[in-house]
Amino acid sequence: MVATNEQVDDETVVKTEINQSVDENDSANSMNEDVPITDSEILKKAKIELEDEPVEKKAKIGISDSDAIVKDELKIKPEVKEEDDELKVKSDKSIDVITKKNDLTSYFASRDHSINHVYQSQIPQICKDEPCQLGVDEAGRGPVLGPMVYGIAYALLSQKKLLVDLGCADSKSLTEEKRDIIFDKICENEDKMGWAVDSISPNYIANCMYRRSKTSLNEVSMNSAIALIRKTLDAGVFVTEIYVDTVGKPEKYQARLESLFPGIKITVAKKADSTYPIVSAASICAKVSRDHALRAWQFREAENETAYGSGYPNDPVTKTWLADNVDPIFGFPQLVRFSWSTAEKILESKAINVEWENIDDDSPGVENKISNFFGRSSSVKGNERKRHNFFTHRCLSSATSL
Amino acid sequence: MSIHLHITKENMQQDEEPVLHSIPCKIHADDTANVETYFKPYIQNTEGDNLKSSFRGHPLEGKKIPVPKGYMGVTFFEYKKPETDDAERNIYATGRFSEFTYWNYDKVPTKNDPFISALDWIDIAEALHSNDDMQEEK
Repeated sequence: MVATNEQVDDETVVKTEINQSVDENDSANSMNEDVPITDSEILKKAKIELEDEPVEKKAKIGISDSDAIVKDELKIKPEVKEEDDELKVKSDKSIDVITKKNDLTSYFASRDHSINHVYQSQIPQICKDEPCQLGVDEAGRGPVLGPMVYGIAYALLSQKKLLVDLGCADSKSLTEEKRDIIFDKICENEDKMGWAVDSISPNYIANCMYRRSKTSLNEVSMNSAIALIRKTLDAGVFVTEIYVDTVGKPEKYQARLESLFPGIKITVAKKADSTYPIVSAASICAKVSRDHALRAWQFREAENETAYGSGYPNDPVTKTWLADNVDPIFGFPQLVRFSWSTAEKILESKAINVEWENIDDDSPGVENKISNFFGRSSSVKGNERKRHNFFTHRCLSSATSL
Repeated sequence: MSIHLHITKENMQQDEEPVLHSIPCKIHADDTANVETYFKPYIQNTEGDNLKSSFRGHPLEGKKIPVPKGYMGVTFFEYKKPETDDAERNIYATGRFSEFTYWNYDKVPTKNDPFISALDWIDIAEALHSNDDMQEEK
């Protein structure tokens, strides 16, 4: 390049031989958002994709939240068939409506896992007409792998016994098989209750923690819970009581929720999961979703689809996988939460060192002492020619060597 | 000490332009990288022509920057690193490019970035030294 630039010297240009535009990523992503899309738009998009897009992208046609779109997909299929049989199989796999636990795998497998996804179950009419209680809990806060999932569940206040009958209890006292069975039962009772999950991607979590002004995991959690409650209320569910499980201080959290949702009785408590069956239900939805999301992970980095375990830092399988899957430049696949100290430590020893600009570099040096503004300046530098601001602002200097 | 830049016609003729990313951190390596699988799949378009991605979990915001009109971007590689400071250096052109992606750490690239505004110098230099003999300013 033309100008020599001090800052440029400090940067590394990563070069690649590929020459494809990023546009196709974009179109794939935009299809993934939870924005309602009209029928004609879907057809249009599907057509466009059939013409231009590789097989994988086409498979995303069916992804959305409404029934109408599933039907549209069927209409499109005859056209698709001529193009590629493999595509048909993939289209069948992408799922919009989750009615049993097995649907979760295809739901998560077909989605862009570097961004967050919110899934909301169908809302039974009775939950719009009669007062409901709503529970909130999370799953996968601690693991170094995979998404953190926030879950909510709501059910009629008049049918509190239903939850107990389903077996909703402290999710930690339940085995994975039991949780799966209860999740299926929750789905079967779709005429009496509903649920929603927010899957927060590991990349999103790392990004939040590595921001210039860091967003804490508690903040991420609270925002997710609030957004899920808001979405449920906006969808018309008649919520009168909210129960929230928290790991942080309940008082502050409760005050915040009360100010956001006036008129609703709010209870924030530690271990609410084991006290309130509706929170247990939310917890089960979150935990089962998290387990499936983790297992359904589709690597784009390829060739590291070996067993990665539960994702908890103390799981030996996870530990081994982390140690064996370090890319010297990029670190880990995006399944990993880079901001976790477990991940950071492994990269420190196994990957190439990377230095970021120091954003906390506000340490007052000698130059900034208040006394420097008084008295005689002792550090007048001889006749050194000062460059014009134009050059200093742009870090430009004459190039004499490389 | 002198530096020899080797630019051959063959090196400048290429079917595909190399894709370049300027990453806002110092990576202590001079090596090939799995850009296609680890980086490219995660680049997203945001508003307008802004781009978003991550490097080692750090949020990046990027923009494609064209090489100014009348100029050509050239990539060079030094196959043999000099062992002493005063050794002669040979640097070979490996390709040319007309744009690159400039990435900032958690900040949309703007004219406030020295790297981008440095390109202003090209127009100013043009105005100052309109005879083709472009001099180094002191």
